Amino acid sequence: MRRLIVLFFGLSIFSGIGWAQTGYDIAKKVDQRLEPADLTANLTMVLTNSKGKTRSNTIRSVSMKGGEKQMIWFLAPADDKGVAFLKIEHPGADDEMRLWLPAFKKVRRISSSKKGDSFMGSDMSYEDMTNRELDEYTYKLLREEPVNGVDCFVLEETPKPEIESTYSKHVTWISKQDYTVVKEESYDLSGVVKKVKTVEYVTRGKYILPVKMFVEDVQKNHSTLLKFEKLEVDTGVKADLFRERNLKRLPR
Amino acid sequence: MATKMKTWLIEQALDHPWRVIIICILFTALLGLGLPYIVIDNDFMNMIPEDNPSLKVWNSVLDEFGSTERIFIAFGRKGESALKPETLAKGWDFVRAVERIPEVDEVFSIATMNRIDSDDGFMNVSDLQPERNLTPEQLTDLKAYLDKTPDMAVRIMSRQGDFLNVVVQPKVNGDDVAMTEQIMELGKKMLKGYDVHFGGQLYLTSRIPILIQTDIMRLMRFAILILVIIMLLNLRSFPAVGMALSVVILSLIGMLGFMGWVVHITGSNKFYFAVLNASMPIILLTIANGDGIHIITKFMREARKRQDVRDAIRSSMNTLMLPVLLTSLTTAVAFLSMIFTPINQFLGYGISMAFGISWAWLLSTIFLPSLLNLKKWDLEHVSLAEKSIFEGLVDHIGNQVVNHPKRVLSIGMVVVLLGACGLGHVKVEVNIASFFSKGTDIRDSIDFLDQEMTGTMDMEVKVDGDMKSPAVLKKMDALQTYLESKPVVRTTISIADIIKLMHRTVMDDDPAYEVIPDTRAKVNNLFTLYSMSGDPDDFSSLVDYDYSEGLITALLQNIPTSQMGPFIDGVNGFIHDLGTDDFKTTLTGMIIIFQEEMYLILRSAFISISVSIVMIFLITWVFFKRLLWGLLSVLPLSAAVILNFGFMGIAGIELSHVTALLSSIIIGVGVDFAIHYVSQYRHYVDKGVPAEEISRDVMGDTGYPIMLNALSNMGFGALMVSAFLPVRYIGGLMVFAMISTSIGTLTLLASATELLKGRLARKEQ
Repeated sequence: MRRLIVLFFGLSIFSGIGWAQTGYDIAKKVDQRLEPADLTANLTMVLTNSKGKTRSNTIRSVSMKGGEKQMIWFLAPADDKGVAFLKIEHPGADDEMRLWLPAFKKVRRISSSKKGDSFMGSDMSYEDMTNRELDEYTYKLLREEPVNGVDCFVLEETPKPEIESTYSKHVTWISKQDYTVVKEESYDLSGVVKKVKTVEYVTRGKYILPVKMFVEDVQKNHSTLLKFEKLEVDTGVKADLFRERNLKRLPR
Repeated sequence: MATKMKTWLIEQALDHPWRVIIICILFTALLGLGLPYIVIDNDFMNMIPEDNPSLKVWNSVLDEFGSTERIFIAFGRKGESALKPETLAKGWDFVRAVERIPEVDEVFSIATMNRIDSDDGFMNVSDLQPERNLTPEQLTDLKAYLDKTPDMAVRIMSRQGDFLNVVVQPKVNGDDVAMTEQIMELGKKMLKGYDVHFGGQLYLTSRIPILIQTDIMRLMRFAILILVIIMLLNLRSFPAVGMALSVVILSLIGMLGFMGWVVHITGSNKFYFAVLNASMPIILLTIANGDGIHIITKFMREARKRQDVRDAIRSSMNTLMLPVLLTSLTTAVAFLSMIFTPINQFLGYGISMAFGISWAWLLSTIFLPSLLNLKKWDLEHVSLAEKSIFEGLVDHIGNQVVNHPKRVLSIGMVVVLLGACGLGHVKVEVNIASFFSKGTDIRDSIDFLDQEMTGTMDMEVKVDGDMKSPAVLKKMDALQTYLESKPVVRTTISIADIIKLMHRTVMDDDPAYEVIPDTRAKVNNLFTLYSMSGDPDDFSSLVDYDYSEGLITALLQNIPTSQMGPFIDGVNGFIHDLGTDDFKTTLTGMIIIFQEEMYLILRSAFISISVSIVMIFLITWVFFKRLLWGLLSVLPLSAAVILNFGFMGIAGIELSHVTALLSSIIIGVGVDFAIHYVSQYRHYVDKGVPAEEISRDVMGDTGYPIMLNALSNMGFGALMVSAFLPVRYIGGLMVFAMISTSIGTLTLLASATELLKGRLARKEQ
């Protein structure tokens, strides 16, 4: 099953609901949803802290294979313009992450060893950003209930003991109609709700893509709002783009 | 009207003693029901008015950067390296347990801090101690990192490397006392086998009120025992002593119950029972006991003379009703004057004391005579039939005053003038660490943390400016360098330190780059880089969310209040020289708060003493219907106040939260003595006693109860053996107050009235 990256970069529509479906069956359908080969979008990220103060960034993101390869260029604020980020996931190994620092004219590698670390000061950690493997979790269908007018399966996902995770479980509301994740609660290792996410979607051709995502760290009273604009899918992005040298070139 | 009321009250005690006693006990019990509502308050910040500028800055820093009050825990074994797997594992467990305490916001220690490494173009933010049990390689790596970053090492280890430092930052508005208790429990349980030292202002403010109150209660038992013995030796009657004590106890219940009810009804924190309120029971005990002693000794003299109990009570109360009312009124007013002082809790203190004194007056006026009336007195008993030892002594002093008034007055004035020489040497000490003398556990821990660790006092410099501007960051860095050049400053930290470390890391760990970068873009890139691999909360205690405010924290050794002013002036001067166009700063932290408290205490002491003396002068002038009597009434207590502060200056006793209030005892008790003396003098003038005999008669009548009251309170000298300096000071100053006010009344006032006797007697006639 895929989570945020999947949510970011394309989900297929599954039709038909089998009442006899198990939790695993539902998770598998989410995992198998149709994804674009590549996706390009402008993202505005607004962070709000417990005192109501905000920070915002605008970034240009290009990704392939559901986010396995991703390039991000910072467009705003002016202080950050030119900073660029490259991530390439390697199955079974640490992700490769690099950052271009234009003021220093240097590319620095970034550690991905701490899964719980926040990404760009947001409420999403590297673990949140990384694809979740279907077989690394156990699934339990808790109930069925509507969320914001959307009929949903409520699925509990627990990482298997051998999996290193900063969460004890997730409870996910999955649309019965298209198997998109509408809402998710993530619980910390002591079993207390840590984060709550809600997602809104738009249809682009054969894909259902997220346009708005709100993540709140309820323990820190800190939130992140992501808005997706200028969504483009299957534009023929080449794997060659995801190279260090391209970090230095801001896209037009 | 007043005479009718007086007669009615006396008759109630004589005709319906049981009814009066039961009503008094019932009303006191009703007040006593408020006792469970008393709130013990350990927050010294509640002393400061809400609109105080320093408090506002303090609160704004708390709001933005979290609490700056911390608890420091150092543990280790002297002479043995703390960087051993076993010690680190113990520390790991302890820190994790402390983190689970709900009131804890953050813990800084080797087990929680991050390290920033550079390796072949790789920037890694990771845990300084990656896991509980370190491998030999990890331990070597940790040691190497600390060697490379001495600024970090000094914050988490002792200078000798034998102790580890754990700093606990509480949540704002949490229960600090409960948190401190839990941390201490955990420390004792989990760090067994190690030397453990606790310190920090939060630790002290959480622990001290409890320790001081416990200590006072323990020593008070001795004090009261001594008081009872002295009263017994003089009154020679158990029932009489019991009656005096019953007035005191009921007054205390009434006053403390009143405090509880006010808190319950109004919710006002001004009526919380704080460390400075610790002196309230002692002061009320002294004042309430004074009223009782005057009435009982007068009753015994009258009984001896009249050989009839009812007559003796009627006569005693007729004579003493007015002076006891007046002494209570003036003392209550003296305490009410505290509502004009800038310290919040003095308002509750003053009003509660005024209530307690009024309650003691009521009990002395109707409850005590009812008790005296109920007792079947043996008029042949030694207590009534014969004079006590002290009555003879007082007669001797009376003879000296009458025979040599000028000499006595001159000697008294010289003593007061000598005492005044000490006024300029009075020092204010509000740093509660100095409440403990060397050799006590707490003081030893504080000294250890000061000498070996980071120190436990803090100063915060809140910087308003662009936290990404190299110019601002360089000024912050320069200020830190200045601060660290001062011997009392152990370490400083700010976002500038992190920027410098990240700069070095990005530049391939080249030490030459451990400086503030020269462009804003570079600073911004460093922040962005960190946000990619570190928790954004890591900087929350150093810089605000939109990088428009930063905080420099300096940890210092505990220093006396007298050294705080010059230190702060030096910092302000340096900041001024740096230029403040783009670098607006505000100082806060415990050192600033202490300085603020110093000013508040000085102002409060000055205001309360001035207002109460003026008010007492006006009241006695009005009551005694003569300006001269008003002046004479304040003469001994004014002299005693001068002597008290002069003595403090000479003896090196500092004016603190606690000792500042003890001048109230002098005024409260001093005015009582003077009023009794003046009332009796006027009484004899009215009775037409020849001027030549008045002083001797007044001495005989009032001198003895004054001496007995003073002497019985000498028991408070027992407090002088306390481990806590403020408690010792309470004991010492109580003794001093009793001596100065009683002797002042029986020498200065007596000799002055003797010298003015012609005028005073003639005018009255």
